[in-house]
Amino acid sequence: MNTIAIILVVGLILFTIALSIFSRRFTRTTADFYLAGRKVGSFSNASAISGDYLSAASFLGVAGAVYASGLDGVWYAAGFAGGFMVVVLFIASALRRFGEYTVADFAFGRFGSNRVRLITVLAVLLTSLFYMAPQMFGAGTTWAVLVGRGIFGMDPYTSGVVVVTAIMAFYVVVGGMKGTTLNQIFQFWWLWFAMLLVVIFAFGNGFSYPKALAEASKAPIVNTKALTAKELTTADPKTGKTPLDSAEKIMTAEEFAKVEAAVAVNDPKAKIPVALGSKNKLHTLRDQLFAEPGHRYNAFDQFSMVLALVLGTAGLPHILNRYYTNPSGAAARRSTFWVLIFIGTFYILAPIAGLAGLGFIKEYIAGGGTVAATTVNGLLVKPDQVMPTLGSILGGQWLMGVVAAGAFAAMFSTIGGLLIAAASAVGHDVYEKYINPNATEAKRVFVGKASVLAFALLAMLIGLAIPKYGLDQAYPALIAMMVTWAFSVGASAFVPMLLTGIWWKGTTERGATAGITVGLSSAIAIIFLNILQQLGTVGKEGILGFFGALTFPVLFTFPLGLLTIIIVSKIDGQLPKNVDEIWMRIHGTANERHEKQHGLDKVGGMFAKK
Amino acid sequence: MGDPTMNTGVANASIQHGDHTDTIESVDMVFRAQRKLSFTYGAVFFAVTLAIPASSVWWEGWYSVPIWGGFTANYLFVSLLYYFFLWGMAWSYSKQADKLDMRLGDMADEITARDGEGA
Repeated sequence: MNTIAIILVVGLILFTIALSIFSRRFTRTTADFYLAGRKVGSFSNASAISGDYLSAASFLGVAGAVYASGLDGVWYAAGFAGGFMVVVLFIASALRRFGEYTVADFAFGRFGSNRVRLITVLAVLLTSLFYMAPQMFGAGTTWAVLVGRGIFGMDPYTSGVVVVTAIMAFYVVVGGMKGTTLNQIFQFWWLWFAMLLVVIFAFGNGFSYPKALAEASKAPIVNTKALTAKELTTADPKTGKTPLDSAEKIMTAEEFAKVEAAVAVNDPKAKIPVALGSKNKLHTLRDQLFAEPGHRYNAFDQFSMVLALVLGTAGLPHILNRYYTNPSGAAARRSTFWVLIFIGTFYILAPIAGLAGLGFIKEYIAGGGTVAATTVNGLLVKPDQVMPTLGSILGGQWLMGVVAAGAFAAMFSTIGGLLIAAASAVGHDVYEKYINPNATEAKRVFVGKASVLAFALLAMLIGLAIPKYGLDQAYPALIAMMVTWAFSVGASAFVPMLLTGIWWKGTTERGATAGITVGLSSAIAIIFLNILQQLGTVGKEGILGFFGALTFPVLFTFPLGLLTIIIVSKIDGQLPKNVDEIWMRIHGTANERHEKQHGLDKVGGMFAKK
Repeated sequence: MGDPTMNTGVANASIQHGDHTDTIESVDMVFRAQRKLSFTYGAVFFAVTLAIPASSVWWEGWYSVPIWGGFTANYLFVSLLYYFFLWGMAWSYSKQADKLDMRLGDMADEITARDGEGA
């Protein structure tokens, strides 16, 4: 039991709840609940966007992906940061000038139909669920390392998922967007400093970036997996060799003897951790070294992953919603610049932590040390546990506590944003527009809160299902992987609609609706095919095998969505009757000139009393 | 948002906020200038970003030759230098977009004044 670490995490949770209660008195209207009254300044908004954006995937997943895959893992960091360039160049100021509440509002305002609004709501909910799932998985795995035991008869993983869901639902319901914003600002800076602290401790313990990289690249990457006795002893039909044969070549005699003993027991349910060799998927004749590309991605996926990450950011509803909280289009651009500074520095540090973890954990275990996470051959079986494990080795319970609190801060801030996005999709876009347009302000806020609770429950169930279906064993760095799926869905569903809606006057409602539908459904279909292939349900042959092999569908699905919009719009040709008025709302500057003239563009107090 | 006055019933639609008016002519001018700026920067951004995986696939010297300790050019760029590229692009774009907003705002006011005189 890590008492100090647990106290630090509990302290973070209590502070979070206190901030939400403090914000409660300022959340009276729907604009307050969903948009923090549109009074968030550039620096605060940039901190909140960064908190919204940096999830468990960034705090645990990037370091884990680098730890497991080397350079292919570093791409997650660079791609996550690069995505904001697309936002600042093509979307931020136009979206803010249009001045609505949600992405679905934009779709409705731009194309003028209920059909496009409702399909956008569906896409928002599905993208948010894809993004929620890895946060829940991160909650469970971090709890398992930090607390190591369950509560109320639940196992540690389930306890983590349930506790995080309960806390998040509470603080979003109580604090709304203002509470969430204030929490996200605090949580972002906590996780930023936690990452910095780990890296400082690594350098303080003799870490050298170029030397560690050279050391890690001396021999091919070793993979870790937990397999059943049957899986270990089943021969590959092509090579005739079993995973056990491969493990024998990689593992130390002592470690392999443990594996053989476990296989001899032949418990059909027991998962036996093993170390296996790696293959270079990009340059198949080369060994897979840490500093070289190819551990996870072949040539196609190298491009597809980059596109998924840089386009996906512009398709994340909880990030786009944040742009409506800016006071002006110029402030939206300034916010994005600061976001790039904040998250860029974070993403420079995260791969350093992943690489440092590789050396320090191996050295620590070789020296007789033990860690809470499962290891084999000096390597973590679950790479996503590298951050808390490294924190514990380098700085004992204190640093582990700071890191664990950072991990929970990352989950809280992102889940908060996702819950608000989902609540606004259901409460604002559906309830207020279709079910009860005459609802009182109090009732609207109540429905928003009820939506938060319902969505949190759904996300919790998905989080609990992940290990039951063996997904955590199918991918080496699951958190980062799952977040990239959410990026792929967002990039395919929303980004073509947003880009054409903002930059091509000829986009029609039928074009946009068809584009969203095609992008959304094709991305989800390919992701599920990939999952089923990894789980062994879908083979690698034929058309299904080809699409199932695509780790990231964006290289197909984004152009597909875009082309659908262009072709259908050209054939349709029916522009909204008020297209000029819409165009003026998106690109016009009269409002901003007016506000600037009268000093109305200055940020008021986010917490000023009305 | 202020309280806009919309005039969409005539051939030249316009939106007025206080003393400032957007006409479709002025907005089209703003749109074209912003499109040029955004898409120029966008082309540079995507060219550089996609050049990285392209080099990872086809340029051995880029992905396999250590240039500093264990750093290959590929690793160094993706883990460090790419961020400086992003910061430079975002800073430069924001400054230029702000300047463009100001210049186009003045021009939009001039167009509105001219149209007002002509009416």
